[in-house]
Amino acid sequence: MSERNQGPGIGVYVCHCGGNISDHVDVDKVAEAAARMPDVVTARLNPFMCSDPGQDLIMEDIKAGLIDRVVVASCSPSLHETTFRNALVRAGMNPYLYVHANIREQVSWVAEGEGATKKAVSLVASAVAKARLIRSLDPIRVEAKDHATVIGGGVAGLKAARDLAMHGLQVVLVEKTPFLGGWVARLDTLFPTGDDAVELLNTLYRQVSGLHNVEILTCAQLVAQEGYIGNFRLKVTRRPPQTDEERKKLAWVRASGQVGAGVVPFVGICPAEPPDDPEESEFTTGAVIMATGFSAYEPRRGEYGYKEHPEVVTLAELIRQMAGGTSRDGHLVINGKPVKTMAMIHCVGSRQIPGLHEPGEDGRLNQYCSRTCCNSLLHAALRIRREHPETVIFNLYRDIRTYGRGHEEAYIAASENQVRFIRFLPGTPPAVRREDNGYALSVTVRDALFHEDELEIPVDLVVLGTGMQPAPIKELTEVMKCQTGRDGFLQEVHPKIRPVEVASAGIFLAGTCQAPMDMTETVAAASAASAKAGSILSVGAVELEPFVSRVDTLKCSACCTCLRACPYGVPKIVDGAAYIEPASCYGCGACAAECPGKAITLEHSTDEQVLAGQNAIIRFQPPAVGDRHEETGR
Amino acid sequence: MPEKVQIQYDALVLGGGIAGMQAALDLAEQGYTVALVERTETIGGNMIKLSKVFPTLDCASCITTPKMAAVAHHRNITLMTLCELRGVGGAAGDFEVKVRQQPRYVDTDRCIGCMKCEMGCPILAPSREQHGFAGRKAIYVPFASAIPQVPRLDAESCTLCGKCAGLCPTGAIDYFQKPRDLKIRTKALVLATGYKLLRDYPARAWGEAADQPNLVDALQMECLLAPAGPYKRLLRPSDGKEPESVAFIQCAGSRDTQLGVRHCSRVCCMYNIKQATLLKREHPGMRLAIYCMDVRCFGKGYEQFYRNALEMGVEFVRSKGVVTGRSDDDGVIVRHDDMEGSGGPRLDTFDMGVLSLAIVPAWTPDGLAPVRVAEDGFLASRQPKLSSTLTSSEGVFMAGVAAGPKDIVDTVVEAGAAASEAGIFLKGLQAGRQRAA
Ligand SMILES: Cc1cc2nc3c(=O)[nH]c(=O)nc-3n(C[C@H](O)[C@H](O)[C@H](O)COP(=O)(O)OP(=O)(O)OC[C@H]3O[C@@H](n4cnc5c(N)ncnc54)[C@H](O)[C@@H]3O)c2cc1C
Ligand SMILES: Cc1cc2nc3c(=O)[nH]c(=O)nc-3n(C[C@H](O)[C@H](O)[C@H](O)COP(=O)(O)OP(=O)(O)OC[C@H]3O[C@@H](n4cnc5c(N)ncnc54)[C@H](O)[C@@H]3O)c2cc1C
Ligand code: SF4
Ligand code: SF4
Ligand code: SF4
Repeated sequence: MSERNQGPGIGVYVCHCGGNISDHVDVDKVAEAAARMPDVVTARLNPFMCSDPGQDLIMEDIKAGLIDRVVVASCSPSLHETTFRNALVRAGMNPYLYVHANIREQVSWVAEGEGATKKAVSLVASAVAKARLIRSLDPIRVEAKDHATVIGGGVAGLKAARDLAMHGLQVVLVEKTPFLGGWVARLDTLFPTGDDAVELLNTLYRQVSGLHNVEILTCAQLVAQEGYIGNFRLKVTRRPPQTDEERKKLAWVRASGQVGAGVVPFVGICPAEPPDDPEESEFTTGAVIMATGFSAYEPRRGEYGYKEHPEVVTLAELIRQMAGGTSRDGHLVINGKPVKTMAMIHCVGSRQIPGLHEPGEDGRLNQYCSRTCCNSLLHAALRIRREHPETVIFNLYRDIRTYGRGHEEAYIAASENQVRFIRFLPGTPPAVRREDNGYALSVTVRDALFHEDELEIPVDLVVLGTGMQPAPIKELTEVMKCQTGRDGFLQEVHPKIRPVEVASAGIFLAGTCQAPMDMTETVAAASAASAKAGSILSVGAVELEPFVSRVDTLKCSACCTCLRACPYGVPKIVDGAAYIEPASCYGCGACAAECPGKAITLEHSTDEQVLAGQNAIIRFQPPAVGDRHEETGR
Repeated sequence: MPEKVQIQYDALVLGGGIAGMQAALDLAEQGYTVALVERTETIGGNMIKLSKVFPTLDCASCITTPKMAAVAHHRNITLMTLCELRGVGGAAGDFEVKVRQQPRYVDTDRCIGCMKCEMGCPILAPSREQHGFAGRKAIYVPFASAIPQVPRLDAESCTLCGKCAGLCPTGAIDYFQKPRDLKIRTKALVLATGYKLLRDYPARAWGEAADQPNLVDALQMECLLAPAGPYKRLLRPSDGKEPESVAFIQCAGSRDTQLGVRHCSRVCCMYNIKQATLLKREHPGMRLAIYCMDVRCFGKGYEQFYRNALEMGVEFVRSKGVVTGRSDDDGVIVRHDDMEGSGGPRLDTFDMGVLSLAIVPAWTPDGLAPVRVAEDGFLASRQPKLSSTLTSSEGVFMAGVAAGPKDIVDTVVEAGAAASEAGIFLKGLQAGRQRAA
């Protein structure tokens, strides 16, 4: 075992994390034990190592020339490894002379008592052993193109394109269909302001189309991607419209001379003629904004009578039908028939409960709330009550989620306008059946706020508040190597503090591809993503972590094992030996582990470093017989 | 770290909560210089005072402190604490902002943060940060991770005994500091002044019944549940007993057109579920009842968080809860309409009660800044659907709860959006100037 070269020594810093760690781990003991480990010259404690006073401890010791390696024992490295590395930089030290020990998620949150303290000590011993063998590294610096690509041309994509271009970047917007505008183009007036969707969309489109640095590609799809932040190489194909529906809409837009004009209601914006023949283009871009939106939940045949009775429609269908609609004797008229009474059913295809609801075709339950349906149903209900005061409306709901600005006001207004609200429980949902008593249908429901009494409501129309689902973008997520969460939506880095970034640098999320949200929230997310991309790319270069695999070409026999081992397809054979582009490497180490000639080294996790860490765990705290960690299930 | 006062900035962000910090960071990263102006002695706002955050149950300190440190260390950001806005003159592109800095009585340039003064101070006063559940000295740093790490002397409780000045190794304590009036020129303004709770609602709604020691508001509950809280576990304020039952009363002041405010405060459903979840995990046998009208869990992962609470046995009582009195052993008596059961009023007694008081703006412009407020009292937006962070005035942007109640993630997104819009505005000014030249 090689010893670290001479130098001051290692500083170990142990965090209480308020009481998160110190309530279950005897942190004083951990620090005491650390102080006795080889090459450790100081071991100190702080209630919050990540706070300024905590970081100051490290910086003081570095500046005093006391230490040249740092180990912090605290929470998960995903939270604060960078925080502490930055403290090293501020104290004038190479940030990679640092090793992190996780004694919160891996210790205090899952174990307690003697065992917890012992485990913490052995994790610190392991980090110290590794710290003795690490060396200075330089970050990988790459040029960054001042160019960004937006995928999806709904309001999220349009807003992102506008903001990115205004930040001074060249922008390409890639939209799958011949039309821009996404779902908002299929709406009429919007909650909660009553703004006209067409007008808003036209305003947004004018903001984008007036910019010389935005290129819009419709009927386009991203088919291949390689590279890394600052330098993604993208391949986009454009094909004539693929579906009958698109062709029909396009024909109609052409016939009415609206290609290149603004919003065509319920279709969208057709900015230019799509190509007649497939085209392919390749370009380099610095960042990619995912803005692929959502797809609407399609009720199963028979779900609340959908597709069995023509009088059962989704809200989107109702909005479409109301647009050309008329009134008769104060009644809303749908399909030529006046609606005396109607029922709106909330949470269709949302808030599904395992065991109660049937999973969709892909086996997934939509357990989440779709966030927008309560508001859009109430907005429609209020509009109907105001424009067609004789139409009676019942809203059958589980909870009314009018959470935002102006939302509760709409709920109050709906109640004041005699929209009737009946709460049902998920286990006893409303039932819809055919009727011929002067009404088309009958809805039975148990009133959860009145002894669960069963009510029977004769109606002419049933409107389903269908939820949002992830858009079908499986191929795209594979091309972009983006992850989706358990709910199927694209997964952000941290759901509280980094909602518009994904795990791979240079890729950002805007709008409903991340989670259900309304238009206000969608455009805010698009702006936030643009600010992030803009500030990275406007500098001209980015720095990446140097934790990548390197090939010793003298040892490499070009056996190609690494080409097969790498899950990201990074290694290539160049001049008779494997080559790993540092900026593309994810640093997962799969190649290094499999290389039969030991020609590959993963920086900061070399075989020597990993083994030293493991041996320290085994050596430092040999577990006594019967001495097991108490698992508490906390 | 010393606080420098520079005269000219690209942007001034008012309010150092998560909204202001994120907006400042996102602007600074674009290369703009930012003054972050905070009223209290530390940045961090309400978020740093929370226990854990829904739905991830990250400890609030753990995710706020790094943001605070990032702000403090950013070379484009200048922090100004204890600063109150006194007026805004000029126009978009060249505002002149008047700020009054209250005395800290400690020279920030000299203080080395050794805390000798705090340890030596003989006076104890109730800590505002800990809602009076714990004490602090007359010269104090409000909490372990406060930024800046410079104590503040509270002139009201200080007896001028001179101990701290004698102990301070750098002579940083200055009993004669006066308020300073600063003039700051800035091209753009971001308002991120956050919220307070509607604290007079209980007395207005329930009269004397509301005045009892074991009825706390939700922020007090956050303090009691925080890992670094006053008792390190939940104890009743009146007698230190571990409660066996807790009632959570939602919409206390929200959605109440008569005695409270019309709007929904948007986060209370979720933080009540969070508080109940945290308690259930530690004390599976504790009775936890949430009195609610609707349960509003609309964000990513929120509904699942609610289902978990249901499965853990948290009760959701579908009725507005009314506090009617105090029991002999200091319990809180709550009445509700038993709409799910036999009907009619029902009384229940709990060891403790927690009120989800309505969220209202912490600050209103009142002629101090050239922006309008909407009917709900929060700052009005010029383009609510297309660019919700634009206020009624050009060059003035807003983010976070100042622009309406919202949770942390929505605040972070909005702050990013405000920084994008403000950055675009600043870029436009540059381009304009270049054209003119
Ligand atoms: C019935 C209903 C009523 C609503 N009412 C309101 C309201 O009144 N007020 C309000 O604020 N919000 C309302 N909403 C919500 C609003 O529609 C959404 O917030 C908004 O559409 C989200 O925009 P987006 O850009 O994220 O997604 P989308 O509108 O879904 O746009 C996504 C775009 O990406 C494109 N795309 C998808 N996959 C790809 C791919 N692989 N490659 C390239 N392009 C792709 C799609 O073709 C589409 O153009 C309503 C929603 C519904 C369903
Ligand atoms: C009991 C409770 C529990 C919560 N729990 C959660 C949770 O678990 N998860 C979650 O996501 N959200 C939670 N929230 C919501 C969360 O607190 C807010 O989303 C967040 O704090 C908003 O941040 P902000 O910066 O907008 O406002 P604030 O945190 O209020 O910050 C505003 C800042 O501006 C300063 N300021 C005010 N006026 C002025 C002025 N005139 N000049 C200078 N400075 C000024 C204030 O001092 C303050 O520092 C909870 C809220 C409550 C009430
Ligand atoms: S927004 Fe309302 S209707 Fe939609 S899923 Fe949520 S609770 Fe159900
Ligand atoms: S986040 Fe990490 S370093 Fe900060 S207090 Fe919590 S455990 Fe300690
Ligand atoms: S004693 Fe002086 S230097 Fe030390 S914290 Fe107090 S004011 Fe600062």
